[in-house]
Amino acid sequence: MNAFSSALYTESLKAIRSKVPLLTTLGFLIVPLVGGLFMVILKDPEAAKSMGLISTKAQLAVGTADWPTFFNFLAQGVAVGGAIMFAIITTWVFGREFSDRTIKELLSLPTSREAIVGAKFTVISLWTLTLTLLSFAVCILVGDAVVIPGWSVELFHSAAIDIVGAGIMTIMLLPFVAFAASIGRGFMPAFGWTIFTVFIAQISVIMGWGGWLPWAIPALFSGAAGPKAEFLSPASYAILFLASGFGLFITFYWWRNADQTK
Amino acid sequence: MDYVIETSNLSKLYGDVQAVKDVSLQVKQGEIFGFLGLNGAGKTTTIRMLLGMIRPSEGNVKVLGQALGPGGRGPWAQVGHLVESPSAYPELTVKENLDIARRLYGLKNPKAVDDVMEKLSIASYSRRKAGTLSMGNLQRLGLARAMIHNPSLLILDEPANGLDPAGVVEIRELLEVLAKNGVTVFMSSHILTEVDRLATRIGIIHRGQMIEDLDTEKLNKFRERQLEIKVRDVAKAHSLLTRANYSATMNGDSILISDTHALETPDEIARLLVNADTPPTHLAIRQQNLEEHFMKLTGNTK
Repeated sequence: MNAFSSALYTESLKAIRSKVPLLTTLGFLIVPLVGGLFMVILKDPEAAKSMGLISTKAQLAVGTADWPTFFNFLAQGVAVGGAIMFAIITTWVFGREFSDRTIKELLSLPTSREAIVGAKFTVISLWTLTLTLLSFAVCILVGDAVVIPGWSVELFHSAAIDIVGAGIMTIMLLPFVAFAASIGRGFMPAFGWTIFTVFIAQISVIMGWGGWLPWAIPALFSGAAGPKAEFLSPASYAILFLASGFGLFITFYWWRNADQTK
Repeated sequence: MDYVIETSNLSKLYGDVQAVKDVSLQVKQGEIFGFLGLNGAGKTTTIRMLLGMIRPSEGNVKVLGQALGPGGRGPWAQVGHLVESPSAYPELTVKENLDIARRLYGLKNPKAVDDVMEKLSIASYSRRKAGTLSMGNLQRLGLARAMIHNPSLLILDEPANGLDPAGVVEIRELLEVLAKNGVTVFMSSHILTEVDRLATRIGIIHRGQMIEDLDTEKLNKFRERQLEIKVRDVAKAHSLLTRANYSATMNGDSILISDTHALETPDEIARLLVNADTPPTHLAIRQQNLEEHFMKLTGNTK
């Protein structure tokens, strides 16, 4: 039993015993379920109106009821919804140590602080990646149940890349949320940071600089503003990797060196 | 000589606020070091520096002969700690909380959890979620966590906090047994009587500075009982008592005698003084009080 596996067991047990995984799963599954509802409505809008699902004034701009539209909706949902839901998970994993005042139980141990932070990031990555894959699986089940046209193996492959890619890119930016929860010693600074990054991502896309801002890149990759090639270049991906590395560095550095007074 | 805890000129500055200044401590193996101070005196900041949780602005810390390194590295496999109020993961049971502590301390044998629950009398709460524990049981869980790996040094901040009177006695006896077996205990407390009963050495910190270090000899003096006598003619009475082979000392308007014989038979002293026409106006056994000393010390330096 080495230090990292001990820390990983600890972090996993804390996550499993809490209600947060269940709540975040239920919250995140809203994306494919709402997508499925849109597919039902778009497939036969008149029937949806007569069933009372939508009002006569409804304006659905999602597109047509087919697999490409459904997958595109999910990819955007993972990028934008993930930026918020994954941030909530990260905020809980790091911030709860300060709000529950358990941070001191993770210090002055033979298990290093680096192992503990590494275990926290591992749990967050596995948790958020599972949510991404689960929403993809639910999307396929719902699409199959609704019976929509346009399925092909090629589409499945490209959708898998878009959805899982958008999820991974969102996960790559979570170290900044962890850093905000750590330096702010609680939940609120991390929530504030998340709202700020969602806001500046929108502004940067409107101004045409989205491809240069790490927090706009996952949404642009998902096709939220149109075909990704129009907005993203290899430099965009390099910026995302560098930002992710920097986020990890400052979080580890803070845990290693900051005075722990709480 | 190798000390279990050794600090030299330990200081911590938060902006303009000097939380701790030039604290030099040496704690020997098997000592129970009581660390006393008012609220905000610098006790917890010092304890956090001893545990590598806070970096000193100046000075250095050695624990079990090892200088604390970057990232708070130190000989933590041999050190147990309880800092400020105890905390535990509320959604985990008592047993699970201790099991994660066992793993983080690198202990392979799961029996360590059962053993420490027995030692701290919390075995009956093993399946109870920590979030539902009373303050006293949460304190016991914190102490169990600190002791799970049988450390050779225990650093405890207010270990009697939240415990009922029986719990205080139980923890005191447990710490005494540990100290007899060579475990060093560094404990802070604001319960002076508790520290006075338990500690073999006491350090008093005030406004970030160590203002007193009472070793065993000085502490024993505090614990000494004395017969206090007041008479109208102090010089005459003192001379009379000295001639009668009592080791009497004059202390202002009174005379103090520490002889066991005098403490056991104060009536003989009264008779002696009455027969010599210097009757006592006051005759009482008194014990010097650490609390009085502490208040005087911290009050004088205001």
